[in-house]
Amino acid sequence: MAVTFVGVRHHSPACARLVRDTIRRLRPAYVLVEGPADFNGRMDELLLGHEPPVAIYSYHRDAERVHASWTPFCAYSPEWVALTEGRAAGAEPRFIDLPAWHPAFADRGNRYADAELRYAEVAERLCREFAVDNTDVLWDHLFEIDTDDTARRLDAYFGLLRGEAEAGEDDAARESYMAGWIRAAEADAGDRPVVVVTGGFHKPALETLAGSGGTVWPDVPEPPEGSTGGSFLVPYSFRRLDAFTGYQSGMPSPEYYQRLWEGGPEEAASALIETVVARLRERRQVVSTADLIAARTLTDGLTRLRGHRAPARTDLLDGLVSALVNDDLDQRLPWTSWGRLAPGAHPAVVEMVAALGGTRVGRLHRDTPAPPLVHDATAELERLGLDRGGPVALTLTTPRGLERSRALHRMRVLAIPGVERRSGPATGADPVLEERWVVDVSDDGGRRMSALIEAGAYGPTLAAAAAAVLDERMTSAGRDMGGLADVLFDAALCGCADQSGRIAESIAAGIAGASDLAALGAVLEVALGLWRHDRVLGTARSPLLGTVVAEGVDRVLWLVEGVRGGPGPADLGRLRAVAAARDALVHASGPLGLDRDAALGVARRVAARTDVPPDLRGAAFGLGRALGDTADPVRAVRGAAGPETFGDWLAGLFALARQEVLDPATAILGVLDDLVGGMGDDDFLVALPALRQAFEFFPPRERETIALGLLERRGTRGSPRALLRTDGPPLLIAEARALEARVDRALHAAGLEATS
Amino acid sequence: MGDHRVDATAEYQRPPAEVRFADELERLRDADTGPRPPGWALSLTAARTFITGDDALGVRRKFVGDTALIDRALVTLATSRGLMLIGEPGTAKSLLSELVAAAVSGTSTLTIQGGAATTEDQIKYSWNYALLVSEGPSTRSLVPAPLLTGMAEGKVVRFEEITRCPLEVQDSLLSPLSDRVLAIPELTGDDSMVFARDGFNVIATANTRDRGVNEMSAALKRRFNFETVFPIGDLATELELVEQEASRLLERSGVAVAPRRDVLEVLVTTFRELRDATTEDGRAMDRLSAVMSTAEAVSVAHQIGVRGWFLRGEAGGAADIVECLAGTAAKDSPEDLARLRRYLEQQASRRDGEQWRALHAARRLLPG
Repeated sequence: MAVTFVGVRHHSPACARLVRDTIRRLRPAYVLVEGPADFNGRMDELLLGHEPPVAIYSYHRDAERVHASWTPFCAYSPEWVALTEGRAAGAEPRFIDLPAWHPAFADRGNRYADAELRYAEVAERLCREFAVDNTDVLWDHLFEIDTDDTARRLDAYFGLLRGEAEAGEDDAARESYMAGWIRAAEADAGDRPVVVVTGGFHKPALETLAGSGGTVWPDVPEPPEGSTGGSFLVPYSFRRLDAFTGYQSGMPSPEYYQRLWEGGPEEAASALIETVVARLRERRQVVSTADLIAARTLTDGLTRLRGHRAPARTDLLDGLVSALVNDDLDQRLPWTSWGRLAPGAHPAVVEMVAALGGTRVGRLHRDTPAPPLVHDATAELERLGLDRGGPVALTLTTPRGLERSRALHRMRVLAIPGVERRSGPATGADPVLEERWVVDVSDDGGRRMSALIEAGAYGPTLAAAAAAVLDERMTSAGRDMGGLADVLFDAALCGCADQSGRIAESIAAGIAGASDLAALGAVLEVALGLWRHDRVLGTARSPLLGTVVAEGVDRVLWLVEGVRGGPGPADLGRLRAVAAARDALVHASGPLGLDRDAALGVARRVAARTDVPPDLRGAAFGLGRALGDTADPVRAVRGAAGPETFGDWLAGLFALARQEVLDPATAILGVLDDLVGGMGDDDFLVALPALRQAFEFFPPRERETIALGLLERRGTRGSPRALLRTDGPPLLIAEARALEARVDRALHAAGLEATS
Repeated sequence: MGDHRVDATAEYQRPPAEVRFADELERLRDADTGPRPPGWALSLTAARTFITGDDALGVRRKFVGDTALIDRALVTLATSRGLMLIGEPGTAKSLLSELVAAAVSGTSTLTIQGGAATTEDQIKYSWNYALLVSEGPSTRSLVPAPLLTGMAEGKVVRFEEITRCPLEVQDSLLSPLSDRVLAIPELTGDDSMVFARDGFNVIATANTRDRGVNEMSAALKRRFNFETVFPIGDLATELELVEQEASRLLERSGVAVAPRRDVLEVLVTTFRELRDATTEDGRAMDRLSAVMSTAEAVSVAHQIGVRGWFLRGEAGGAADIVECLAGTAAKDSPEDLARLRRYLEQQASRRDGEQWRALHAARRLLPG
């Protein structure tokens, strides 16, 4: 049998070493590697001599889906070593797996994510057996430190992992395809050996499948008719590879493994302890020599307890955390729980994770062809007549104007120099239909070109790249509502709102964690406006904005029910939030499937509580009315009367339900009139500022209607406007009244009654 | 000194770990081939197996939590620093400290219970005053407290709830921990200094709800390695534990039916969400100020079973959860009650499943 199968874990230095040794020993005719077969024609490009980490970025778009994925390589990736060592040994390196666009990869963003995650049960049992917390630790324990007889132990491990488990449909499709390549290579190589490097998980199946079947070189599947797609090389970074912080990645702590690959475990441990301490001291955290000794002692102790001949990754991390953390932690350690580092993690833990993650960024060889984005951007700008410098004025209501605006905004979002917006829509709610830009195409010093090449890692076209950048910004904005609103608006401007389902996912996650009612209200207002009305930007009825609105309403209701407090001035921000929720419930509940009954329930409960600030109770009452509650408003108004709270309660009510007051059928005006009329002078003065604020929710015409109603109640006729105007400044009138009262009192004291 | 003999055959409510698991410890000792740190009853590996369990040796898993935490704790005890276990109430810190002490020293009863009234006498030593008056200070009239015993015999001393002690009392641990010596100035000659034997160390526990470790003196902090004990990380494990413990308690209370799995799932999910202040699908909420530990969940599950069985002759359902929660979780806190109500109104209503619907429907049972 001339075929040697090497089953590896992706990104494992121990496996890379095994691959290297195997290839050097066998000097095979073919080295077959798990990777996208449609890239085989460009193997020379991949082996130009890049500085890893680099990745093959693959994208695909058809009528149903948009898919982007990465196939990342670092210096210690077994696949990378197989390709480079294979080439050096005179072998023909070939990728043998299905292309990235293939439906078998539909749910995956990273080709080299761990297969065992899909078959977790066995892995869990193994962890229990070896008394470790997760498969990363188990892997280190079994393979990375003790390198004797790696091949045999790998076989045992992956054999157990694969066990009797039926492979999923996707894995089965890939395995039968890869087996075709292996058979063809074996037949073609004659008596020379063939080395196959794939995920260890596939190895047992491949060995069986390669035994029988045709020996013709398999075709590379063509993407379906009508779809676009392709692959190109991009620089990658350790940050993106690191499972603790990045997304869609495989093995954690790439910097650690890089050092393990270069210098072995002892050297990796010493170097990283040093880096961690240096980083902590840079952040002005105290790390004493005693702490360092303790860290070293503990690491050694753990190494011995766990039976390692040199410290493994988690021996190092555990030793450091025991020695350096002198408080209670708020979250689990990421290396035991397999979680991400959440905000607010202990600074020592943050620095440790960062030091082991590293900051290396790959570099492509100079001769690498430019990514498609460069060509796409140039062609797009030329098509839209934006390839000449100077000022550009755009009308957003014409299709061409909108297209040009979007192209420029995408350039702006990608931070490509040479486009600058001077004016245009700023919030999504303002009716600005024109934009002014200044375009500079001179490209001094090639900054524009280099920015485009860099941005090429995000996607092949301006639209795709801008969507990916916005997606990233959205994730990093987290729960910052202001940041989320900015990204949302940028997405609308770029016409990317529905390019990526992930944008919707991350903003929904951000909103679900929001705690500032006013900020959330502002986001909801903008999103609802764009969703309902914006035909200019083409966002009306956009599913993304629909998600934002639905999540926003849910969250506003949740937060509203949590507010507690005594009387206080009306908080206009939160009243606006409730009003925005009302608008959404009234105008969008059908298409978005909002639960009006649940909202009504919240409104009733909040309105009825006595420990809720009056403005919010008024607003909740108004919300209830707007949603069809038939509670008696007159009773509610009477119930809220009290000089200190009345005005604020009314402010809440008016912010939500002005119409109620104007509607003669509800008789609210009469009640208000009686209540205000019945206040003593002192009470009135106490209530006045809040009352003034409350009535400011009415525009002048409606105030006139109210004035007219008051005149009618008194049976007088006259101009209602006169009531709304005063002869002099209010302060002067108040002083005059006070003076008159004093004079009256003085006269009364002297026994002289004023006659009128 | 050290006359804490507990008869394994007698009916104690809760014998110490070294008695409860005497046979397991014996098997581990017999099979133990690893090197033992000086003064230890077991090797590090065997001590770890005692806690994490090993089916082949017939050793039960006794602590559900990160194995790495146990590794770090054991290694810490083998060095010159003490071990500080810190965490929310009900995260099994005391159990862990008991198990570790039993494994390392073979005894877990050298325990100081911290509190506002703890004095140095209760930590170090005091006197038999009758003897003291008649004979003067001597080793005969000296009454050793756990710390002195632990140092003299080379055993692990447990200090429970250390942060509840006054700061100056906490600081009395400084010289035993750093110089490994305890001075008895009343005695003379060799007796006036007790040097710690190999095997002596201190496991302290502290609770984040009481005065935290922030007020602890920096000098003392430096002499401890801190290990945070977290609530159980995943739902399945916690559910399993609650089911197991609740079934055991219910059996003892004479309840003839096992708790319902779907009810327990709702209960444990509710506890986890209120404890973490996030729902399983990532919505942020308010944290309840009441302790929502696994132990508390077990006790609620027990109550539910008892209510269901003795009041209605069945296993108890989601409605009982609400009533029991009102009692445990929202103990005299109107804010917690309001948070709980909001949770039931707005979060429970989103979930599918018969028991979730029952829980939502039962929200009116909350008092107030």
